[in-house]
Amino acid sequence: MKLSVGKNNINKSILNFYARAWLLMAKNSMLSWLNKKESVIIFVFGKVVRYFFYFSFLYFLVTKTNGILGFSANQALFFTATYALVDTISQFLFRSVYTFKQLVITGDFDLVLLKPINPLFRSIAGGPDLMDLITIPPIILVAIYFGSLLDPSLLGVIYYMALILNALLVSMSIHIFVVSLGVITFTVDHLIMIFRDFSSMGRFPIDIYKQPLKGFLTFIIPVGLMFSIPSKALMGIVSPAGMVFSILAGLTFFTLSLKFWQFALKRYTSASS
Amino acid sequence: MDKYFSVFKISLAQEFVYKLNFIMWRLRNIIQILVFFFLWNSIDPTYFGYTQSSIMSYVFLLILIRSIVLSTKSTDVSGFVSSGDLSNYLLKPVGFFKYLLSRDIPTKIINITFSLFEISVLYLILKPNLFIQTDLFQILLFILSLIIAGFIYFSIIMLSNSAPFWVPDIGWGVQFLVTIIFVEFLSGAFFPLDVFPKPLFEFLKLTPFPYLIFVPIQTYLGGVSTVETFKNIIIGGLWAIILWIVMNKVWKKGLKVYEAVGR
Repeated sequence: MKLSVGKNNINKSILNFYARAWLLMAKNSMLSWLNKKESVIIFVFGKVVRYFFYFSFLYFLVTKTNGILGFSANQALFFTATYALVDTISQFLFRSVYTFKQLVITGDFDLVLLKPINPLFRSIAGGPDLMDLITIPPIILVAIYFGSLLDPSLLGVIYYMALILNALLVSMSIHIFVVSLGVITFTVDHLIMIFRDFSSMGRFPIDIYKQPLKGFLTFIIPVGLMFSIPSKALMGIVSPAGMVFSILAGLTFFTLSLKFWQFALKRYTSASS
Repeated sequence: MDKYFSVFKISLAQEFVYKLNFIMWRLRNIIQILVFFFLWNSIDPTYFGYTQSSIMSYVFLLILIRSIVLSTKSTDVSGFVSSGDLSNYLLKPVGFFKYLLSRDIPTKIINITFSLFEISVLYLILKPNLFIQTDLFQILLFILSLIIAGFIYFSIIMLSNSAPFWVPDIGWGVQFLVTIIFVEFLSGAFFPLDVFPKPLFEFLKLTPFPYLIFVPIQTYLGGVSTVETFKNIIIGGLWAIILWIVMNKVWKKGLKVYEAVGR
């Protein structure tokens, strides 16, 4: 009993340590953005305008055609809202992946490895994009609005929220794969943008794509798992077995990504330092 | 002329130095096109006045027209301005705009070559029903609309590149807003603009953006009357002239306040 209490305390203090480290990195990231106020205003404005265009286009499209491939107009809009939600939260949390290449090619990654903090945590969550804190609340409201138009059951809402967390786990796994490949190949920039292009396919229900692309988006880059399945769960068209399978798939993906990170780390040569 | 031909040859060689970058960039274009293709494959385009073959042609023309109009290296000029590297180019005995155009031509040639290859491969895989324009006059108007689009895009890029003359840190932000948001959404590169209700669509046609992608595709497809096609070409041409004049004036004003910060 004593031993387990001790273990709990250690876990708590580790969590506290990482929470404080994350807040510190977030603060630093915010301070560096505040030095470029004009850019912040433009970026936030651009992001808002982009989502406005997305939704306007889709709204005019699906209201005229009464939906896409059997999904109603509101359901189609909800797919896009879910995509926007997961994509924006992922960008907020894992923004530092975009600057990871620089750490590797300059050899500054050595300094990350020397610090008493998990290098993976520092590499993927080391610079949250605080501009997204401005865009996340309206996107949540949009998702709630379109979701409420679908008259979901309480169970559907619970499934949806669980699968959104699962989607963020999958997104984190993909970011881990990208930084791991970055350690080996130095090509993070394009890889992350290609991932984002593939994930943008999740703006629409994955059912619109044909094989083998659909299989690729289900099993290789699980866009369906991240964006389509949570939306379908809220609509009540995902069975409990499908739900369990999705979460198991998310956990498997996460485990594989951690293993790949360990594999990549062993191949880091520190060549430029 | 020789010096610009040298710039052309060096730029062409540079394209093959960063092969992986280039392949990744092309792959990203294909992914965007696939989204467009499958979306329009799963809805009835007749709601918006398109036939299945004309909307599929729109998708395939997008690959080619993006390569002709939107492929450019000139987006790095804002970085030259904010870092002070622009001084290196101003000191050389070359016209800066001619230098930029000499760099852009090989980029466009390579992108067009690859886009033709991609169109062939995607055609064999997806087997769409495409509309082939056979009217020579309409094809000439299409080529004219592409030249106009090229000038409009170059002027828009150079105008956004001018922002760091006044606010050095703003370059990338302005480029993001102009090229990634406004050009992508309002040019017809993301969806045909006539999806919008007519008043909104007519309003958009008063801006220069539709003349980059949407109007050239419309001209090729011949879906509008000859009078409307000429009207589009004239308005696009006027935008090209206006933006070229404004861009030159803004650039000259920018050079007067340029302080080569960082040099």
